[in-house]
Amino acid sequence: MATDSASPAGKPAGMRLPPGIYGVVGIVAAGAALWSLAPEAGSRGETLARLVEWAPALAHGFAMNVLISIGAIFIGTMIGLLAGALAMSKSFAGRLARLWIVAFRNAPWLVLIYFTTYVFPFGTTVPFPDWLKVMLGLALPASANIAEVFRGAVASIPSAQWEAAASLAFSRWQILLKIVVPQCVRRMLPPWMNVYAIITMGTALSSLVGIHDLLDTAQIASSTVARSSFTVLTYVATLVIFFAYCYPISWLTRTFEKRLRTA
Amino acid sequence: MTLTKLRRLLTPVVLASAMAASFTAHADATLDKINSRHELTVGVLIGGSPFGSLDPSTQQPRGFNVDLANELGKRLGVKVQLVSVLPSTRVQFLQQGKVDILIANMEYNAQRGEILDHVATPYYRVGGTAITLKTSGITRWEDLRGKPVCISQGSSYIRPIVERYGAIPRAFPGASQSLLALRGGSCVAAVHDAAPLLYPLLQSDPEWHDYRALQPEIEPAPSVIWVRQGEHDTAAKLDTFVRDLHRNGWFIATEAKNGLNPPSPALAEWHQQLPAEN
Amino acid sequence: MDTLLHGFVTATARLGLDYRFLLDDYERVPFVQGLGVSIEIIVSTMTASAVAGLLLLLALRGRNRLVCGLARGFIEVTRNTPTLVQLYCAFLVLNMLITQWLHARGIDNPFKPFFWVVLVLSLHKAAFHAEALRAGFDALPSQTLEGAASLGFSRATRFWRIELPLALRAALPALVNNMVELVKASAVASAIAVGDVTYQSIMIWTQRDNVLALMLLILAFFGVLTWLVTLAGSWLERRYRIPGYGY
Repeated sequence: MATDSASPAGKPAGMRLPPGIYGVVGIVAAGAALWSLAPEAGSRGETLARLVEWAPALAHGFAMNVLISIGAIFIGTMIGLLAGALAMSKSFAGRLARLWIVAFRNAPWLVLIYFTTYVFPFGTTVPFPDWLKVMLGLALPASANIAEVFRGAVASIPSAQWEAAASLAFSRWQILLKIVVPQCVRRMLPPWMNVYAIITMGTALSSLVGIHDLLDTAQIASSTVARSSFTVLTYVATLVIFFAYCYPISWLTRTFEKRLRTA
Repeated sequence: MTLTKLRRLLTPVVLASAMAASFTAHADATLDKINSRHELTVGVLIGGSPFGSLDPSTQQPRGFNVDLANELGKRLGVKVQLVSVLPSTRVQFLQQGKVDILIANMEYNAQRGEILDHVATPYYRVGGTAITLKTSGITRWEDLRGKPVCISQGSSYIRPIVERYGAIPRAFPGASQSLLALRGGSCVAAVHDAAPLLYPLLQSDPEWHDYRALQPEIEPAPSVIWVRQGEHDTAAKLDTFVRDLHRNGWFIATEAKNGLNPPSPALAEWHQQLPAEN
Repeated sequence: MDTLLHGFVTATARLGLDYRFLLDDYERVPFVQGLGVSIEIIVSTMTASAVAGLLLLLALRGRNRLVCGLARGFIEVTRNTPTLVQLYCAFLVLNMLITQWLHARGIDNPFKPFFWVVLVLSLHKAAFHAEALRAGFDALPSQTLEGAASLGFSRATRFWRIELPLALRAALPALVNNMVELVKASAVASAIAVGDVTYQSIMIWTQRDNVLALMLLILAFFGVLTWLVTLAGSWLERRYRIPGYGY
């Protein structure tokens, strides 16, 4: 997850195409190759028609992925910023925050999703839908990562600023809120977007706990139509849809980073 | 002093008797909840079979399980909310209160009966079978000894094939992955429900014509509607509906409507037998 | 051993945790085997991803534009698609096609699910390793590179004896971070029935409904593993510290 630096030394000049073009071409070529190799009981055209028929259902499934990712990053950012700020203090709350960060950076995401889906008590009075549980399950590691991003951004502020502000009688919290954090926001943006991209990819795990996301819909489509060539098409389409959503985000991240560095 | 001591002794007794009274005064918690919220939450298995699938044009669930859930809701006079479950998640969802009842092709067996309660009258009878390549050399269940077998996580067939036939299970999150894994050669056979899943495949799908099903079916077990332990009132109420649906042939009609072929002899049996009892 | 187990089960039962599966051979033995399989997956993936990462880096820095473009495209694809989807595509789709193709020629498919998990995970992590190493190369001080060139070293010698060791040291924190992520990602192997500890836990809790108890065991197991990897990483960083850089 290292965010990219500027173009490396020794790279051939004139490489102006975004690297994603190679990726897209690669997937489409590989997908087409696989599809042509798949045994076809009916006609190729018919399989494509079935894919078009299932496209709205797949889009609906992907909307669920996006919903979960947005909710998870939102909740994760709230908790992460709080935890990151607390982790810098030496109080008991600070120790708890550091424990939180370490715990959720070292737990497998799949296990966390199983944990929030099965172990959280269900509210009988307040409806607690399943996608909300997956959202929470992903918000936990997101918060830990964002806390680390926050810590890194704060650490990049020269300590001279802290000392100068302290000499002007700002309290620690005032320095944090009024001087350091506003500068951090710009620096945190690329790694934060990176975390968002990773969370979005993590939402694919929700298919393992029964959420009707893109991957689950692809599996249902594949078993309803029950044809190898359609199965190949559907799984490749799933790959393409995730790539089409996540690659622009990571490309934007790199652009912001470059602009930050030159600014 | 003695008054406070008395109060301290009496409070738990009063609380306990109040709780006991509240328990006996109402029907069980689930039926209460259904009636007060005017909503029945049903866990249905939506895996792409005639029992539960997605309609691609409306993205709504459809199938035998869905029809049964809606019919029960209609008879209870409440709205129905469908929650999709997998064999690997259904028990937990029921236990955790996420769903009120399960209509999930979950057959009765003693181990499940220990942790859950169920509606006495079944709504289907399903046995398991193994599909395997005609060229695989496996003709009887005993030939599976020591061989890898693809199956669903949470399936009730895992224990029988391991304990009785010594097969090695490879469990996947759902039947669709299991069948794909079989085609990929990860196992010599896949064990799933015969009538709902495997027979339709073998009958109508040209890609499966190199495969055959093993006979006899293992563990023919009644598919029942599951409720949480202790929910006797809910189970009894649903039982009256299920018996009625058998009597008036609704199940047989729904089976045909959803394209379940061949029609289950068990349903015909119950349709004949049930009017005689009562 | 038995009395210890019994004691443990009764003690935890009082807390509401159901560990009775430890007393049943049919369930305990696969669980313990699952621990071993998880460790096997992690070790194999670490080695394979390190090798693949290096190869990817060579492709990226090579002068052949086609190879460079392919490597770039590959990295973008694996970094921007979920591991689970990649795993399904490889194991359910690609493997199925390979089997059908081989069967038509009367050969058995030799690729097992374990192989596919290691392949997909190590290629996925190799992309991250390659990026980390590339950042390491960018951090090389240009004076060192110019000095090496002026001494008449060939391009290959320069790479293997000067640039790579320095870049490795600079990239070490990021590489160790990737290895920790790798340990966590190995849980996804449970989706294709590889028999790792997460898979065995699912098999047990779908029958016994003791999710919390198993969850605690798995979290402890992965916690220990990530702690070990971080420890090894710190040791490596100390041992290969470049004087005058870092802290």
